[in-house]
Amino acid sequence: MNSFKGNISHINTKGNLSIITIQINDKIKLKSIVVETPKTASFLHINNEIAVLFKETEVIISIDQNSKSSVQNSILGTIKSIEKGALLSKVNLATSAGDLTTIISTDAITDLNLKIDLKVTALIKLNEIMLSNT
Amino acid sequence: MIALNIQKELQSTDGKMLLNLNLRINKGQLVTLYGPSGVGKTSTLRMLSGLLKPGEGVITVNDTTWFSTDKDINLKPQLRKIGYVFQDYALFPHMSVLQNLEFALHKNQKSNIITELLTIMELDQLKGRKPDTLSGGQKQRVALARALVQKPEILLLDEPLSALDSTIRLKLQDYILKVHKKYSLTTILISHDIGEIYKLSDWVFVLKDGLLIQEGTPSEVFISKKVSGKFKFTGEIISIEKEDVVFIVRVLIFSEIVKVIAQESEIQNLGPGDKVIIASKAFNPIILKLE
Repeated sequence: MNSFKGNISHINTKGNLSIITIQINDKIKLKSIVVETPKTASFLHINNEIAVLFKETEVIISIDQNSKSSVQNSILGTIKSIEKGALLSKVNLATSAGDLTTIISTDAITDLNLKIDLKVTALIKLNEIMLSNT
Repeated sequence: MIALNIQKELQSTDGKMLLNLNLRINKGQLVTLYGPSGVGKTSTLRMLSGLLKPGEGVITVNDTTWFSTDKDINLKPQLRKIGYVFQDYALFPHMSVLQNLEFALHKNQKSNIITELLTIMELDQLKGRKPDTLSGGQKQRVALARALVQKPEILLLDEPLSALDSTIRLKLQDYILKVHKKYSLTTILISHDIGEIYKLSDWVFVLKDGLLIQEGTPSEVFISKKVSGKFKFTGEIISIEKEDVVFIVRVLIFSEIVKVIAQESEIQNLGPGDKVIIASKAFNPIILKLE
């Protein structure tokens, strides 16, 4: 599980759902959608420090830094290490927020020609990010 | 309603400890006392049942005073209408299952309750057997049946299932729920098993160093504040297996085993038997109607 700490910078609530924006550092801002509102979850308030959690298997790697997609969260990083398995491989990225781990198919490593020191973008859908009270 | 406001100096492993509790338990509830060993959970049950005298305080049950230091009241244990089940069964070894149950009858009490309990606890086939020929789960069913012979209003369960393996434990939990509902009991359980507490109890009292430090529903006490995931369960790890660069973790949730893919960093301090929270976003599960 990847975990970063940040502060809530924006909350957009409609009905039972909220999109929470979390400022991780001056470069990285992540958005998460939750079935909570500031009324149902006391930790949802501006400036509160929280942890964002997401599974390694939910991270998409893109080698095109300007590609457009519906994915709202992107983190720039450099490949630090690749651990190849038969079907799945683990790719570790160094980012401005710290290390980030992704699990992708081993075929994708070959297809994208992923190598150590390559600059890539990690993409995470907003419904894959979980929040945890620190 | 059980209202218990008691103080008692206890000898713990770290020296003297003052147990100072103020608990309210509604009639018909199944509540759990939760906390590390030596915080006064068993002593609390013993004081409620009259086996241990509180240093000071008041115990009232449905507006009847059972104990009061001010009024000098201390109702005898046999008048308190309490059934008590311990971890170690405490059955008479020289008596059959039936005789163990009959021994618990009041003078002049009709024995039809025994026939009923043998049926409910599915002990009919075993009624002629001596305790040492029974498995742990069977013995505990007898102990539970025996605790109910005198038709108690309150059932005290002091870690009744902790010596049993997980499959038998799940079965016994069903029996506990069954009799709790059938006899409209107020039940107080001591348990360290979060899955069990989750399944059985309406309310949890968390004790620490002789004091009540938290109370609430099992989800309020154990999981609600940790993560925002809406698809969230507590379970017990059955096995962890490495597969490629990931690990497959099998987790028992109630009576189902689920598989979760995890990373090395997630399983570092985990092993079979550990209690865990499994959480996912509400967005991930799919729903299919059962035909």
